[in-house]
Amino acid sequence: MLTVVKQGWSTFKSIFTGMGITIRHFFGPSVTLQYPDEKMELPENSRAKLYVNIDDCIGCFLCARACPVNCIDIETAPATADVDLGKTSTGNPKRFWLTRFDIDMAKCMYCDLCVHPCPTNCIYMVPDYEYSEFDRSNLIYSFSNLVPEQVADVKEKAEAEAEEKKRQREEMQKAKAEAARKKKEMEAKKEEERSEKDGKEKGRAPSKPENDGGE
Amino acid sequence: MIELISDTGERREMTINMGPQHPSTHGVLRLELVLDGEIIKKVKPHIGYLHRCFEKYAEEVGDYAKVIPYTDRMDYVSAMNQEHGYVLALERMLELELPERVEHIRVIVAEMQRIASHLLGIGAFGLDLGAFSPFLYLFTEREKILDIFEKISGARLLYNYMAVGGLMRDVHPEFKTDVAEFVKTFRPKIKELDDLLSYNRIFIKRTANVGVLPVEVALNYAASGPVLRGSGMKWDLRRNDPYSIYDRFEFDIPVGEGEMGTLGDCWDRYIVRVREMEQSLRIIEQALDSMPDEGDVMQAIPKRIRMKEGEVYVRTESPRGELGYFIASNNSASPHRVKARAPSFVHLCLLPAISKGSLIADMVAIVGSIDIVLGEVDR
Repeated sequence: MLTVVKQGWSTFKSIFTGMGITIRHFFGPSVTLQYPDEKMELPENSRAKLYVNIDDCIGCFLCARACPVNCIDIETAPATADVDLGKTSTGNPKRFWLTRFDIDMAKCMYCDLCVHPCPTNCIYMVPDYEYSEFDRSNLIYSFSNLVPEQVADVKEKAEAEAEEKKRQREEMQKAKAEAARKKKEMEAKKEEERSEKDGKEKGRAPSKPENDGGE
Repeated sequence: MIELISDTGERREMTINMGPQHPSTHGVLRLELVLDGEIIKKVKPHIGYLHRCFEKYAEEVGDYAKVIPYTDRMDYVSAMNQEHGYVLALERMLELELPERVEHIRVIVAEMQRIASHLLGIGAFGLDLGAFSPFLYLFTEREKILDIFEKISGARLLYNYMAVGGLMRDVHPEFKTDVAEFVKTFRPKIKELDDLLSYNRIFIKRTANVGVLPVEVALNYAASGPVLRGSGMKWDLRRNDPYSIYDRFEFDIPVGEGEMGTLGDCWDRYIVRVREMEQSLRIIEQALDSMPDEGDVMQAIPKRIRMKEGEVYVRTESPRGELGYFIASNNSASPHRVKARAPSFVHLCLLPAISKGSLIADMVAIVGSIDIVLGEVDR
């Protein structure tokens, strides 16, 4: 009988303690925001969306390599000798056209690992979180500031230059090889003469030079 | 005992599935229950719905640092603790010396994360048993912790804040005052929680003498954390095998005492979590006092992680229990093998042992009281 009364009392008490706390909270300040009308101010360094300041990008691929989910897709073309791409705001010289710099925000895991290796601090997170899309492909953000014609032009130029350079290099190599061959031939002739002399002395036929040029 | 009698007079057993889409299974867990009326005869947990190949990924990714964001996603409720264990393991392999400031910030965020995790665990436990208001009030408090974390790391849940040898970024200048303010406002809330939930008659009725886990069984199943301490065993890795700078702080290890019923019941496991939050507050206060104001948190971060050949196993006290990382390195850029010893997985294994013979309604209480996170179970 006593336990029943005791338990009854404790039940009664817990109901009213609970009610008291609930009422206190009811009249306390509200802790929620009515979202579309009121918005929470995100801290400055919030990680919500990746942004690339393409003017500062030097095309070093460090961010793409650091990404654990491979959501950064970069393609570069080397700048030809006739153009100067200038320098970034941090003073690094730019040597590449960025023909493609796509970030797939649908894949991004917001880990911040791409931000730290960047030598010019041009890739960073911005606190912009309202960018939902109906189509997943719309979440691929292109940061390259070149239009397709420019991209084709730049690529063509770069290829032409690369071809030219390759040709020059080959020519240079050929010239080098030629020079080396001539030198060796000369040496061989000298050798021959010497060996002829030796042969006459020793009474033996001259041997043919073993190496004939740098082929 | 209720017995279900069929027409032929034989007892009939019924098999039902609880989950995978069940609000009280804390994720995607399927429990195959063999019932005799309302009494549970057998429980078989089915896992794997959230499997993401964490361990295989870690071997394939090609960089030790790229694994850290994935450790966040193991136990997404206590991401800081998961990171802490992983980076500690790597640091022990690299034999790095850490700046004092880094160690202090790490301990502070780890303890705050422990509180946040317990708040969610307790809140969801109450919610499972029909106590709705405590859940909301506790989440208000948890929100404050997440706000501080968002300020320091930029993310609310998956921080990727700790780096091997340091932190990804320094804390904001008002960090100390923010945390001190939180500690001050949070203390009275624990008292409020006690009034509202812990000593509530209905709550006690639902949890006392339910899902009793004797200490021998707990040890046999290698239970750890609040589950083991709820059974009366004084075992806390922060004290028994100190890592980081935990050996400098003074704190008690709360254990279950069977106050409301049998030792090791759901209520004991619950109250251990509540009292642990107070101890975490104590640790935070001490760490705030001794934390140096100056110092570069990124100075000890190696440019490239060059791991020598070898193995390491580091265990830390996560909010759920002993979280161990075994890492084997073979001199290449990515680990040869990473094995995570997840406390949630171990605790899920002991679910059949403690829920036999209880009512199906109590199953919800038992699952809630062991506080599993399925992301960690399946990895």
